[in-house]
Amino acid sequence: MESVGNLLLGFSVALTPGNLFWCFVGTFLGTVVGILPGLGPAATIAMLLPLTFKMDHTGAIIMLAGIYYGSKYGGSTTSILLNVPGESASVVTCLDGYQMARQGRAGPALGISAIASFVAGTVGVLGLMLVAPPLARFALRFGPPEYFALMALGLAMVVFLAGKSMIKGLLAMLVGLWLAGVGTDLFTAESRFTFGHMELLDGIDFVVVSIGIFAVAEVMINMESRGGTELFKIPKGLRNLMPTLQDLKDCRFAFLNGSIVGFLIGVLPGAGSTISSFLSYGVEKAFSRHPEKFGTGVIEGVAAPEGANNSDIGGSMVPLLTLGIPGSNTTAILLAALILWGFKPGPLLIQDNPGMFWGLVASMYIGNIMLLVLNLPLVPLFAQILRVPYFVLYPGILGISIVGVYSVSNSLFDVWLLGLFGLLGYAMRKLDFPAAPLVLGMVLGDGMERALRQSLMMSEGHLSILVSRPLSASMLILALLIVIMPMVNKVRSFKMKAVEQEV
Amino acid sequence: MKRIWPYLLIGLSAMALDVTRPSNAVAFEPTKPIEAVVHTGPGGGSDIFARAIAELMQKEKTISQRMHVVNKSGGGSAVAMAYLAEKKGDTHTIGFFTGVWVTNPLTTAEAKVTINDLTPIVRLVLEPAVVAVKADSPYKSMKDFIDGAKKNPGQLKQSGGSVTGRDNLVRLVTQKATGAKWVYVSFPSGGERIANLLGGHVQMMVIEPQEAGEHIRAGNMRVIAALTEKRLPSFPDVLTLKEQGIDVPVIPQARGILVPPGVPKDVVQYWEGVFDRFAKTAGWKQYLEQNQFEDAYLKGPALGKFIDDLTVQMREVLKEAGAKVVR
Amino acid sequence: MATHDNEEILTGICLGAFGAYVAFEAFELPYVSEYGPGPGFFPLWIGIGVTLLSLVLVFANFFAVAADESREHQSRLAIGRALVGWSGLILAISLLHWLGFGLSLALLTVFLILALERRPLWTALSVAFGLALGFHVIFVLALGLSLPSGPWGF
Repeated sequence: MESVGNLLLGFSVALTPGNLFWCFVGTFLGTVVGILPGLGPAATIAMLLPLTFKMDHTGAIIMLAGIYYGSKYGGSTTSILLNVPGESASVVTCLDGYQMARQGRAGPALGISAIASFVAGTVGVLGLMLVAPPLARFALRFGPPEYFALMALGLAMVVFLAGKSMIKGLLAMLVGLWLAGVGTDLFTAESRFTFGHMELLDGIDFVVVSIGIFAVAEVMINMESRGGTELFKIPKGLRNLMPTLQDLKDCRFAFLNGSIVGFLIGVLPGAGSTISSFLSYGVEKAFSRHPEKFGTGVIEGVAAPEGANNSDIGGSMVPLLTLGIPGSNTTAILLAALILWGFKPGPLLIQDNPGMFWGLVASMYIGNIMLLVLNLPLVPLFAQILRVPYFVLYPGILGISIVGVYSVSNSLFDVWLLGLFGLLGYAMRKLDFPAAPLVLGMVLGDGMERALRQSLMMSEGHLSILVSRPLSASMLILALLIVIMPMVNKVRSFKMKAVEQEV
Repeated sequence: MKRIWPYLLIGLSAMALDVTRPSNAVAFEPTKPIEAVVHTGPGGGSDIFARAIAELMQKEKTISQRMHVVNKSGGGSAVAMAYLAEKKGDTHTIGFFTGVWVTNPLTTAEAKVTINDLTPIVRLVLEPAVVAVKADSPYKSMKDFIDGAKKNPGQLKQSGGSVTGRDNLVRLVTQKATGAKWVYVSFPSGGERIANLLGGHVQMMVIEPQEAGEHIRAGNMRVIAALTEKRLPSFPDVLTLKEQGIDVPVIPQARGILVPPGVPKDVVQYWEGVFDRFAKTAGWKQYLEQNQFEDAYLKGPALGKFIDDLTVQMREVLKEAGAKVVR
Repeated sequence: MATHDNEEILTGICLGAFGAYVAFEAFELPYVSEYGPGPGFFPLWIGIGVTLLSLVLVFANFFAVAADESREHQSRLAIGRALVGWSGLILAISLLHWLGFGLSLALLTVFLILALERRPLWTALSVAFGLALGFHVIFVLALGLSLPSGPWGF
């Protein structure tokens, strides 16, 4: 089989001492970058570009890619320990991961995150190797109506993330959708809700909102009582620092779910890893035997999204391999690096440089193993962060939040927004408004509005385009079902109660 | 006492010579790394361009200091331009401008700085573009596409970037000149635009020749027109719009260098000199060829005129497009 | 006697006002453009949606029982503390431009430890110094990030 031959070629390239070294450097840097909130792989890769000119190109791309998928391993660390999303794709991990930490299960959370990342990341690379060409052709069938349906499906997940009050969940989602709309309208270049501020022309950065609503608000909640609320039971003993066999069993489906959902979403150019982590969380909850427990510290709630944001990377390389189109922002920078080194972007890049490309793919296998070996032993070390006295931790978290936000675009304006969203997040906590729907609304709102308007542009205003195409129609029907199901269930249980009372 | 006079004379002559020495004999030389401001994020067009030039300048040793790229993205070019305006008089900062720096302030009220507030140094290249369709498309020339659009007004679709970008402006002037009508669908990323073309969701797009070249080599795309004054060397068989009977002005996509306001004259001259030398280097010529850029070196008053003309042209085209022109 | 859940009702009213504002502003924007729904389309419906749901919220809680008084006093104190901490953060952010990150963080730390945690001055100062130093070493020196810097370069 062609793939085997390519893979052997790849390993022969990747297993040289030089490339192994660069792989290690990349994955290590990536883990560090992932742990730090705000600073993302894209910015790090850009910073390192000047240094790569003097390097061997294969080694350089191996290192840069290592930073990319390495960051997805580290991103969950602060999400779980401090409720500070390390990366936009790790926001979902905050939901259950942080709760697990509060119950003294920080170790298993961190551990399962690393393991899920490894499993899903490897599946992603496998998928890249085996099903790339037909999958890429299928992905081309995704036009604006299909993207809209996909986002609608994602928003239907709000139903799953709403928790107690549907009304409050919907309100939070609508506010999130509004936040996504702040900025310059792509289609007419009109500015919306910028209040005259130039800094808002590009919209509000998602990182700013998520760190404000999660991290800063969390610190404020803890400031309410002196000495903090009884937060963390420090895990004792090695057994408590790793996921148990039972945990691994519970996550069987999550591993599968995260790998597949992440990979498929990654293939679509323009659908980011944040969407894939949300969707796989929703899928996990949908198929779970105890959906109501999600949000309270369920381990599958950590495994699924963390896996998804890793296999996403394998997926985003698929359009790169087959069509020369980057599947995500960071992949676009990798492509830019290739251009700068003198390669020509496009579908034949791989054909012309098989050694480099397959070496890269093989190094991704190796890199995933390296990361697992790197991250698992670090789990007990990270869990010790919880031992730090709260009065050191609070200013520390606030400091990390500021650094994280400032590192996004070096703008003090963003830091002010951080303060604002911190207050909003606190108010939401006090008033029992769930944060997840707001975040979801913000992530999807942009893409959804854009996809709808693009679809209507294509059909000259006829909404029928959304249902006349099989792909989008089926996704929309699914979304509708997801929204109706709980209502149907409520009615049914209401009727059952009425029947019981009569008897 | 008598012996002092020769020395005094020598001393006085030396002083006289010193006074009469031309005052700009000590030319400006940068003493710390240069900041190169671009308006895109890492990986964007200007970013790649600036990094490539920084690297080339290192290699060809045209300047004595390193140049590092600073990304100031936001509001099109608004944030980058505001940043440069704030750096009034700074001698170690340059900006890489494109046509967006001219058009963006025309439509964006929040932008506080226009191109006239900054000091242009040189125009380096004109980026050509071509019109591309899917390889199995029935349109073999731009004329075919226009005919198709006339037969089915509003049915054919073009993918592109922002509505004030070149892609759409080309469409608008062509629609006006030919009476055809087709739809424009905006996609923020280049990848999505190409994906939608290859997936058959849109029928046509405007693309850079170098990128198109790769897709043609792979058999996915076909080029049906060149959006330039003369045919492109890499596509000798592709006719320009004018050659196909579509008489529209070529909307240029220029790239050049500018510096903040209030920079002293000798520093401006220094930068002009640097880019004079740079434009003659072999490395630069090779880069132009590889990327199929048009060498459009222009400086001084001619550059000023180009910018003014472009501003007037853009304002008109934008108004016709129905965009809200605020200045 | 039906009592109202004042908290919820107030929230509903505020949100309703916000929704009305959004809808109003969206009205100014073009509803349709040459290319389909205009920039005003989505925000208008979002504004309307928010206003409607807020009304539902208000009415649903019109007949709900409010939280009891003692708990309210307790929670008011707690909220007060949180807001004090938040104001400290805002103050630190406003100082970032003049004093730089290191000093602002140190001041914030001192403030939080002294005002909220009521620990001795010595603890506050040493933690502040340690944190500021740690941040500087990790983020500025090791990672090369650029943070707002004050008059002394950190």
